[in-house]
Amino acid sequence: MVSSVHAQTTRIFFTAMAFWGCVAAQAGSIQVQVADGAGKPLSDAVVFLDSPAAKALVKPVLGMEIEQVSRQFAPRVTVMPVGSTVQFPNRDTVRHHVYSFSPAKNFELKLYAGNPSNPVLFDKPGVVVLGCNIHDQMVAWMLVVDTPYYGKTNAAGQLTLAGVPAGSYRLHAWHAGLPVGAPAQEQPLSVTSADASVAVSLKGVSP
Amino acid sequence: MNLLRQFRSKYQRWGLVRRIVLLSVALLLLIQIAVQTVVRSSIEDSVRLNLQRELSSDERVWSRLVEQNAQRLQLGASVLASDFGFRAAVSSADADTIESALENHGARIGATISAFLNPEFRLTAMANPKDAGVTRQNLVEVGQSMARDGQQGRMALVQGRLHQFVMVPVRAPLVVGWVVMGFAVDQSLATDMQALSGAQVIIVNHSGETTRQVIYSTLPGPSTAGMALPADTRGTQKIGDEEFAIKYVALPGSADGLKAILLRSSPEAHAVFDRMQKVLFLIDGLALILFAVGASWLARRVAKPLDLLVTDTERLGRGDYSQPVNDFGRHDEVGNLARSFDRMRLSIQASQSEIRQLAYWDRLTGLPNQAQLREALLSMLAKESTALQHAAIIVLDLDRLKHINDVLGYSFGDRVLQVVAQRLTRLAQSEKALAARVTGGEFALLLGACDAERALAVARQITLAFEEPVTLDNQTVDLSAGMGIACWPEHADQVDVLLGRAELAMYAAKRKSMGTLVYDPSLDSGSAQTLSLLTELRQAIDRNELRLFLQPKIGLSDHRVSAAEALVRWQHPTRGMVPPMEFIPFAEQTGFVRYLTLWMFEAVARQWRSLQPAVGLLRIAINLSTRDLMDLEFPAKIDALLAQYDVPREGLCLEITESAIMDDPQRAEATLNQLSSSGYKLSIDDFGTGYSSLAYLKRLPVNELKIDKSFVMGMEIDASDAKIVRSTIDLAHNLGLTVVAEGVESAHIYDMLAELQCDEGQGYYMSRPLPASDFNAWRARWESQRS
Repeated sequence: MVSSVHAQTTRIFFTAMAFWGCVAAQAGSIQVQVADGAGKPLSDAVVFLDSPAAKALVKPVLGMEIEQVSRQFAPRVTVMPVGSTVQFPNRDTVRHHVYSFSPAKNFELKLYAGNPSNPVLFDKPGVVVLGCNIHDQMVAWMLVVDTPYYGKTNAAGQLTLAGVPAGSYRLHAWHAGLPVGAPAQEQPLSVTSADASVAVSLKGVSP
Repeated sequence: MNLLRQFRSKYQRWGLVRRIVLLSVALLLLIQIAVQTVVRSSIEDSVRLNLQRELSSDERVWSRLVEQNAQRLQLGASVLASDFGFRAAVSSADADTIESALENHGARIGATISAFLNPEFRLTAMANPKDAGVTRQNLVEVGQSMARDGQQGRMALVQGRLHQFVMVPVRAPLVVGWVVMGFAVDQSLATDMQALSGAQVIIVNHSGETTRQVIYSTLPGPSTAGMALPADTRGTQKIGDEEFAIKYVALPGSADGLKAILLRSSPEAHAVFDRMQKVLFLIDGLALILFAVGASWLARRVAKPLDLLVTDTERLGRGDYSQPVNDFGRHDEVGNLARSFDRMRLSIQASQSEIRQLAYWDRLTGLPNQAQLREALLSMLAKESTALQHAAIIVLDLDRLKHINDVLGYSFGDRVLQVVAQRLTRLAQSEKALAARVTGGEFALLLGACDAERALAVARQITLAFEEPVTLDNQTVDLSAGMGIACWPEHADQVDVLLGRAELAMYAAKRKSMGTLVYDPSLDSGSAQTLSLLTELRQAIDRNELRLFLQPKIGLSDHRVSAAEALVRWQHPTRGMVPPMEFIPFAEQTGFVRYLTLWMFEAVARQWRSLQPAVGLLRIAINLSTRDLMDLEFPAKIDALLAQYDVPREGLCLEITESAIMDDPQRAEATLNQLSSSGYKLSIDDFGTGYSSLAYLKRLPVNELKIDKSFVMGMEIDASDAKIVRSTIDLAHNLGLTVVAEGVESAHIYDMLAELQCDEGQGYYMSRPLPASDFNAWRARWESQRS
């Protein structure tokens, strides 16, 4: 299993190097296809590229919303850059008690209805798991990333990262099905000016 | 086998009652045993089934209990796991807080031990307030095994105690760890189980094939210590003194070795049935007793009447028919039997009395017969009575009955007998005597308390009673009878001897025409006296003591000695000359007379020639007895004698008495015919005393009549006797017979007879009987006087 992951990684690396030589310092769009170990496409997988250069380009997004609708978080998976603020509007008639014990952001919005007065600031990168203290089935994940190049796969397990300047990056892929507390899977990626496509195979994802 | 035979022979000797009782009780016992067996086996089945059902239900209860217990614990653990504060503590990895939260929540639900495991099942925190001896290692193992098997709870043996472990995830909101709680449940589960269902519980751990460890038992202590439990999952097991039905039940989520055993006490399950069976036994016992009593009563009701019937029938068997057979007033079979016996009794009684009538009564005369006479005499003598000093019996025999029967017919004779019976009955009534008909014309009168003198008086009365002749159908018959009297105890002390002697006297009386005779030993040929007489008489012939005497017969026309009657005299060596009356009747009676007759023939034949006169023939007459006439060889015997001494037959005359002929006229006639045709002269002796009819006489080949001396001797004084003599002489002459008159005792008679043209005379006037040797001399003298 380990050797197979390694081989895959190696394959992606070489493909990236080939693009790197052709489109240096040019922005390109990268098609990423994420699948689980069995090759099944994974939706709502989060992919982001970081590099020291990218870190400097982070721009927080303010006023993001994660709603509570029908006793579920929506969306269930959210990715955002560091420093973003998120509103947790309650669209249900019942109250919710949103909390997170995650190291990236430990917070608690005690029982409330409607829109809480203050948005929550996520100033550390990492995975934040949201829960509701009175609705155990309510789970949502937030990935706070230190880069502007991130995205979430669609139902077909695909996403496109556009406008990524050529350069050397590390590609991180994460999915909620990964074991609790497990870090995102990362791999190096060289981005050229030309469009490229990357297939990511996420091991250890439980459905 | 032997025992069975013994019992059988014993059984066969038993009475009806014991047999019926034994049999019915034995049958009942058999049925009861069968019922009890069925009941017992049903009870066993039922108890077994009940126990199994109860154990099945116990098993469900047990499972439920365990499940509920686990759920309760799980709930407690879940409460902790979902507590926000706890989750916050967990998230903050604050070990002290976690531990105190565990302790707090564990105490709330009574957990023995609580612990927190991280998602990788490493022990993060543990609260072990009761210091149950559960190690961290135990907890980790339990947690890991539960996680491995996907269980939320399991039973496990920790430090020798059964624990229920539950493990619930801590979500924040994803699983961030596990709360594991353990509870020591062995005692609580078992006691709850016992309280709920009543079943006993033993929790055991089989580790390996043979080792078994009892974790907990609701049974009182020591009894479980050494018990051997069956390997089977269900069955029975004896623990201590008690038997249990058992069932192995797995503990949910536990390792294989851990088992709960549910136990139900067999005796307890049996208790109700046992009580029922005890009652049944009691009822059976009562039924047996009732049955025995009832059967005995019933059997007695049958058997007792049978016993009484046996007594009754034994009485019937003894000939006592007087009492009716008791039918006990019953209308069942026994009553029928009794009534049937009674009918039998009546019919036997009737036929007995008829037999008695036939046996003891004379049908013709209605008098008691000889048998009854005999019995009456027996009972009279048997009384040993104080009053009865004497008894007498008169036996009488009608004269001439045979003659009456012959001439007038038997029915006439029977009617004569009936008349005689009537007269005797009348007499007997007045004399308080018993009259009986012995046989033929023979009757008897039994007189109690009577001596010979009175008996003679009664005999005279009988004679008087017979004086009136019997007239029937214009025929008149004179009655007369010979009577003999014998007295008790003088003449005999035994009934038959007494009767015999009375008869003997009667015969003697008849023979001697004496009317009545009282028994005297001299009459009795059977008596010792006569026996010796018989012996002497035999010796007399051998010793030549007999003498031939002759009494001459004189021709009344020529006064010559024409014939002589030969007579016998006994020259006894001691008694002298014995008169013929003393031994001739006796000889006739005993039959010895035949030897006398032959002796006479020989004596006469021997001397016949020497007795013949110079001129003419001396015919010598010899008396024949009845017995001689009955002897068919008699003619041949005398022929031989005459031939021996060369005596012509016409030289002899044979004298036969009327009565000798009449004893058996036919046979006498045959013999007489034979003698006559042989050439012997025949003479009827004692003519006029018998009853021979002239018609009969006419047929006989007779040459001569001898008129009985009673008539001849009466001629002188009695005109009628003279007439009889005369008419007899005329009659004889008319029949061509010569006439001899006996008893010529005087010259007057001699002359009268001569005048009546009687042929010959014989008597004392001429001569007494003379010794044969003197005869010739006497003849010479007589003839010299007459000529």
